[in-house]
Amino acid sequence: MTDGNGIEVRGLVREYKKGPRAVDGIDLTVEPGEIYGFLGPNGAGKSTTVHVLTTLLPPTAGTALVGGYDVVKDGPRIRGLIGVALQEAALDPLLTARDHLRLQATLQSVPKEQRSSRADELIHRVGLVEAADRKVQGYSGGMKRRLDLALALVHTPRILFLDEPTTGLDPQSRTDIWNEVALMRREAGVTVFLTTQYLEEADVLADRVGIIDAGKIVAEGTPAELKAEIGRPSVHAIPRTEDDRPKIAEFLARFGEPLASTRDVAVRLGDGLGLTDIVRAVDADGVDIADLELHAPTLDDVFLAKTGRTLEGAAEEAEEAQQEKRK
Amino acid sequence: MSYWNVVSAVAWRTLKNALTNPQILLPTMMFPLFFFTAFAGGLSQVSQVPGFDFPPGYTAFQFVFVLLQSAAFGGVFTGFGVARDFEGGFAKRLMLAAPRRSGIVAGYALAAFVRWVLVAVMLTVIAFAVGMNVGGGAVDLVGLFTLAALVNLCGFFWAGGIAMRFRTIQAAPLMQMPVFLILFFAPVYVPLELLDGWIEGVASVNPVTYLLETGRGFVAGDAPHIAGAFAIAIGLGLFFWVWAFRGLRNAEAAGA
Repeated sequence: MTDGNGIEVRGLVREYKKGPRAVDGIDLTVEPGEIYGFLGPNGAGKSTTVHVLTTLLPPTAGTALVGGYDVVKDGPRIRGLIGVALQEAALDPLLTARDHLRLQATLQSVPKEQRSSRADELIHRVGLVEAADRKVQGYSGGMKRRLDLALALVHTPRILFLDEPTTGLDPQSRTDIWNEVALMRREAGVTVFLTTQYLEEADVLADRVGIIDAGKIVAEGTPAELKAEIGRPSVHAIPRTEDDRPKIAEFLARFGEPLASTRDVAVRLGDGLGLTDIVRAVDADGVDIADLELHAPTLDDVFLAKTGRTLEGAAEEAEEAQQEKRK
Repeated sequence: MSYWNVVSAVAWRTLKNALTNPQILLPTMMFPLFFFTAFAGGLSQVSQVPGFDFPPGYTAFQFVFVLLQSAAFGGVFTGFGVARDFEGGFAKRLMLAAPRRSGIVAGYALAAFVRWVLVAVMLTVIAFAVGMNVGGGAVDLVGLFTLAALVNLCGFFWAGGIAMRFRTIQAAPLMQMPVFLILFFAPVYVPLELLDGWIEGVASVNPVTYLLETGRGFVAGDAPHIAGAFAIAIGLGLFFWVWAFRGLRNAEAAGA
């Protein structure tokens, strides 16, 4: 059982009336002060899980405690201690950023005398000083995301839910959001439940990752644990000419299990072997190779190992399924 | 305290949008004004019809109808805003932040009331400016405006209940049409006694007829069935209040 800043979920199910189970009996625990990355393709059940945990949607079955409170019985208490930035920023195009912050601070019962200073502080923090008094309808996607994040922080929440906070953002805006999330955890000890379909995002930010596919959690652990679980790194050699390929393949086979690749010649490294062993052997044997690369396992490899599909492929499948449903 | 914070925040935001965006406020102001000008001005000779007995005159006769109509439609227009908030996703922000979500409905209702007060003040000033006679005293006028305020709440709770069930602005005709019908199936242009045929039958069982007659009675200084009219207004208000809160529960179950 977690203390006041954690999340504990047991057997959580959310079923829609005319659809399959969006969330199908998941269990997860998020420790206080942890950044938990919830990774999965579109339609995997990430957002539905967030909607249930933030009391926006009642669960069909199972239990979920957020900050020690039950999502079904203690909705008002939970809403007082969480901050939420949903996938689609829920903003009023006719209000300014400052109006939004004032509204949110009042809704969250921030003391009246602190509302203005808190708004100023957050406007500075998310870099919206110049746009603060402009209507949101003229904001870019990145500005809306940053405002949404600021709104989630108005009442200094103990637990923060970020539902795909960087989807559709340019690399600079994405990095800004990552820095902000890392800062919040470091300085305020906020627990962060972050959903994402970006492997890099989960890898960079999350202490632990839960991978969800078709409503079920298929893997959970630290990014390093998950990668270690599925295997060792691979080495990829790029031949100078096509004619060199058989010779290089024969050479590399001494260091591990060959992998199928059309671009290069690759092997999964054997136990206790590293790139340096190969480099030394290349020098010693005088093998002519254009380039040599070490590939560490990625979370996509983990997803592939657990579901038999790549994350990108799963996203396409989900998209196709949705289009089929629309027909 | 947190309940009042939610109420005031929702009302503030709705009013801020209404007061700073003419496209939201103008229809609420212009429609009653148009009806008042058209009915009281264009149809003033109706008061010459034999059997038309309303001493303060036709301007006052129409003023009461337009006041009640503006109250009802003020509530309905706020219901449109609720539907837009659900359709556009802004309602999720309110649902996620409000500790007690009933405060959201109360906040919209407060905004509907304040918006209508602005219209009612404008309408009253214009009515007096064009020479409206009033036979009743201050207490009668308080009675009239209280009755209209209850109609405003009924209008909002009805439309808000629809908005939270359908969560799309496409439900606007469903919010507006029944209110329009019930208002115009009352004795709008002449007293009930001068109506005939099926319209007389419908008007005599229409609860709005009682509100209208009592309202006109307040202006004339001789209000009939006051207790009955307030009982109807409060009863409808309570009924639609339950309707609206059940709509909120419906929206909660659907994930807003």
